[in-house]
Amino acid sequence: MLRDIITKEIQDTIMSPKFVFTFLLCTILILISVYTGINNYQAEQKEYSAAVALNRKNLDSQASYQTLAGIGVKINREPQVLSTVVSGVQEAVGRQATVNIAFDPNLVDSKYSSNPIFAVFGALDLTFIVKIVLSLFAILFTYDAIVGEKERGTLKLALSNKVPRDRLILGKAIGGFVSLLIPLVIPMVLGLIILMIYPNISLSGQDWGRLALIFLMFLLYLSVFFTLGLFVSSRTCRSSTSFLLLLFIWVTFVTIIPKAAVMAAGQIKPIPSVHEITAQKDAYLQEIQKEATEEQTEYFKEKERPKDPAAIALWNEEIKLWLEEFQQRMTSKLDERNAAIEREYQTKVSGQQKLAVNLSRVSPASALMFSTMSLAKTGIGEYERFLSSIRTYKPIFTKWINEKMMRSLNLSGGQQPTPELDDMPQHEFTAETFGDSFSRILPDIVLMAVLIILFFVGAFVSFSKYDVR
Amino acid sequence: MLEAKELTKTYEDGVMALDHLNLKVEAGEIFCMFGANGAGKTTAINLFLNFIPPTEGTVFLEGIDMIQEPLKAKDFVSFVSENVTLYGSFSAFQNIHYFTKLAGKRDLKRDDYANVMKRVGLQEDAFNMRTKNFSKGMRQKLGIAIAIIKDAPNIILDEPTSGLDPRSGQEFLVLLSELRDLGKSIFMSTHDIFRAKFVADRVGFMQKGKLVMLKTKEELAGEDLNQLYIEYMHEHPDI
Repeated sequence: MLRDIITKEIQDTIMSPKFVFTFLLCTILILISVYTGINNYQAEQKEYSAAVALNRKNLDSQASYQTLAGIGVKINREPQVLSTVVSGVQEAVGRQATVNIAFDPNLVDSKYSSNPIFAVFGALDLTFIVKIVLSLFAILFTYDAIVGEKERGTLKLALSNKVPRDRLILGKAIGGFVSLLIPLVIPMVLGLIILMIYPNISLSGQDWGRLALIFLMFLLYLSVFFTLGLFVSSRTCRSSTSFLLLLFIWVTFVTIIPKAAVMAAGQIKPIPSVHEITAQKDAYLQEIQKEATEEQTEYFKEKERPKDPAAIALWNEEIKLWLEEFQQRMTSKLDERNAAIEREYQTKVSGQQKLAVNLSRVSPASALMFSTMSLAKTGIGEYERFLSSIRTYKPIFTKWINEKMMRSLNLSGGQQPTPELDDMPQHEFTAETFGDSFSRILPDIVLMAVLIILFFVGAFVSFSKYDVR
Repeated sequence: MLEAKELTKTYEDGVMALDHLNLKVEAGEIFCMFGANGAGKTTAINLFLNFIPPTEGTVFLEGIDMIQEPLKAKDFVSFVSENVTLYGSFSAFQNIHYFTKLAGKRDLKRDDYANVMKRVGLQEDAFNMRTKNFSKGMRQKLGIAIAIIKDAPNIILDEPTSGLDPRSGQEFLVLLSELRDLGKSIFMSTHDIFRAKFVADRVGFMQKGKLVMLKTKEELAGEDLNQLYIEYMHEHPDI
């Protein structure tokens, strides 16, 4: 009997115009999103390769270590292959950071900053389609699941037979959910085939694992709205009431809670603006420069150049040693202070972000966004880890360039040696492991599972007492 | 056989929709229940089918207590409701196939469905039509076909002739007579006193949830139907 109910539910949905419309729309949207995702990724890859090559060329063409110290090293963020399905925040955050001895590095040159029109509507990726379009369809498929049968008179007719209510709602839930998955699964499989056959796109085993988890999150998210639809449908007497109520809940979940959570977090845990932080860093830089000038003047006053040509070589050597130590000390002070300012700022930012994330997690839409971004390595966490790796690299580079600069100092004038980059420390960044990403999304999985259980049990209990008249 | 014993229903708002109904519909009998809107006919049917729990009393179908063992008792009853729209995107065949499966009949073939649909007067070219394109009368016929194919010993019909044209209504009454001759107990709620008198073996009149009058076919033959209609079928807005 359960099989008959499931089969009927699938047939009834598939033969309805709303299914045909949903299927066509989802197929078009998903295929367009994968296609544009691939194109964006390839364009990003090209830009990345070009930027890396240009940086290398720039480094090679520097005349001295002094100019290299000023210009610094440009570090580019490598595009993620899974951005083809979940673009995340990667288009909004910077792609490149300059590491030099003076300034604290920061990621700049985001895609949105280079062309703000992209920021107006955001990206059409799979997460957006599932979050907005398919969740709406989940509501469209379920708002009349129970109450619609009552209005049609088919509920009475079905229950005049030896049909247990629990089996009827279970059959309707399974059949309805399978029907809802068809517009997602078929186009998504097509999209994955495109991903597989497209040149220059290669997915590792871990990427496939991540994709599977992204798909699991999609399923969980849609299940939340599906069971919610069943629940509301089994609590209302008119399908129009059910639809309006569901629409209200959908708007609250998808748009209001996430925005309100961010605003509330901003009010509860305010943070200083980026300009204030930059001003603090600049002020300290000026302070250090002043201190350095004074110390240098003082030192050279005491350490006058000898007249004896035999002593000049020794004097030069002493000066070089002192300058190297002095430069290292000053830059270390600057780096330490900047790091302290940054640490304090990041602690506040992180506190605010955590609060915003945790508040907004009440909404399954936020849980979906955070989890899929983490899995695709296009989220805020990955961006912060990358930025942090650059800031860790900064003192390493500074130490190296100071050493090189001072050792190559020619106090008697003449040609400076051209930089040798073979032993230059390289920036290293290891992406978050699969296990860490999974741990990060675990709260989202639990939250959605709890909502699904709550809504389904609610629907189950409500239907067992539902007035079929 | 369908039997109601002291069947009573008082809703949450305090309205007593059915007041200690005692009734027995024997095998091979057609019982027609008359009454104005709100008299308690549909409440009685909802209780017969366990759609709502009774406040008091119980219902027996072939001796099985519907309140105690609803799933078992439902094997012995078919139901035709007043406004069945069925699954609009399904054809007549698909609708009857689904409800036949729910009724537990798994060995029936397409021909069996076709025969029953023909028997209730549904045109053959409508068998594969989506029921959303059916007229009310066609849907009603299909609903009756779904009830007949279950082959239960008891049939409960809620205003079954309300959507039928005069000819279909007449054919329907003939069909009911045939079912009675097959030994079915038939309980029908209706407003159509003039048409029902041709098939009813007994009739009952309800007012304010009470069965106020019972008449046999013979007793009804001598009555002034117009007078009965005016007396018992007018609306009682207080119910």
